[in-house]
Amino acid sequence: MGCQHLEELYELWWLGALSEQGSLDLREHLARGCPHCLARVREAAETVYLLGLAAKPARPHPRVKSELLRQISRKAAPNR
Amino acid sequence: MGEELPAEDLLARVVGQDVAALSELYDRYAPRVYGLMAHILPSRDAAEEILQEVFVRLWSESPSLSQEGRSVVAWLVVTAREAAVERLRALRKNVADAGPQGPSAKAEKGPVTGRRKSKAAVPVPSGAKSLDGKSEAMRTRPADGASAPAMCPIPLAWLPQPKEISLIDDRLALLHKAINQLPKPQRQALELAVFGGLRESEIAAEMGEPLGKVRTSLRAAVTFVKHRRRAVCGTWAANI
Repeated sequence: MGCQHLEELYELWWLGALSEQGSLDLREHLARGCPHCLARVREAAETVYLLGLAAKPARPHPRVKSELLRQISRKAAPNR
Repeated sequence: MGEELPAEDLLARVVGQDVAALSELYDRYAPRVYGLMAHILPSRDAAEEILQEVFVRLWSESPSLSQEGRSVVAWLVVTAREAAVERLRALRKNVADAGPQGPSAKAEKGPVTGRRKSKAAVPVPSGAKSLDGKSEAMRTRPADGASAPAMCPIPLAWLPQPKEISLIDDRLALLHKAINQLPKPQRQALELAVFGGLRESEIAAEMGEPLGKVRTSLRAAVTFVKHRRRAVCGTWAANI
């Protein structure tokens, strides 16, 4: 698959909107380290990041943070 | 009041097992990530569970993320969205597997990967909320037997750098204005991809449009947003 053909697919790939075969083709191409496509795929990630921010921020319940920190502290403790 | 530390400095402290640094990253970005989760997933419990999972992953993956010098917030948003979409697809699968009687109360705890066999129409757990934050009613969506397995982990080298993301953050309002300029069919297709976690074929079924037309709409929407983003974040002026 050529780079030009892939140009408009990167964002859709990040979004998981491509067919399974389309995703595999694109991933295989990127895995070959094509510098043009790697630059474009990073740019596409920025766009997907932007689209994700279209959702209005919301405050999670404080319990989530407490549970998270408890879980993390347990992970950190053995290393101390 | 002191100046806010860059997220990447906090990440470096997380690499050194600093729980307080992770706590600060959470305070800074959890509302943004949770807002996205709540937009994609049908229940608060599911959204909170994924939110917590994503920050636990940030803790575990902080060494490689820090080493690659990639944006923390981009990683959080992209990773969280992927995790939420995977969960949404698993929920859909559970609904389909549960048959006409609907999902059991425990459906959300089911596996997050796997192929859906049923072709029957199933209610979609997501409210298919829109890019401007307005919810639509729960709709019925056809199951698609071509569902792919869980998404692959994101190679960190494929993510943007912090300076690129800060440019976007500075101009977010303009960019959202640009998204709102999309023609309705393009916008609807994009919303179903971003927040509905649907693939092209599923979007076509949802919209009752031919696959080719939906593909064209999606690519046009993405191209428009991409060009607007370049205009806003680049050095040249944009008339948005």
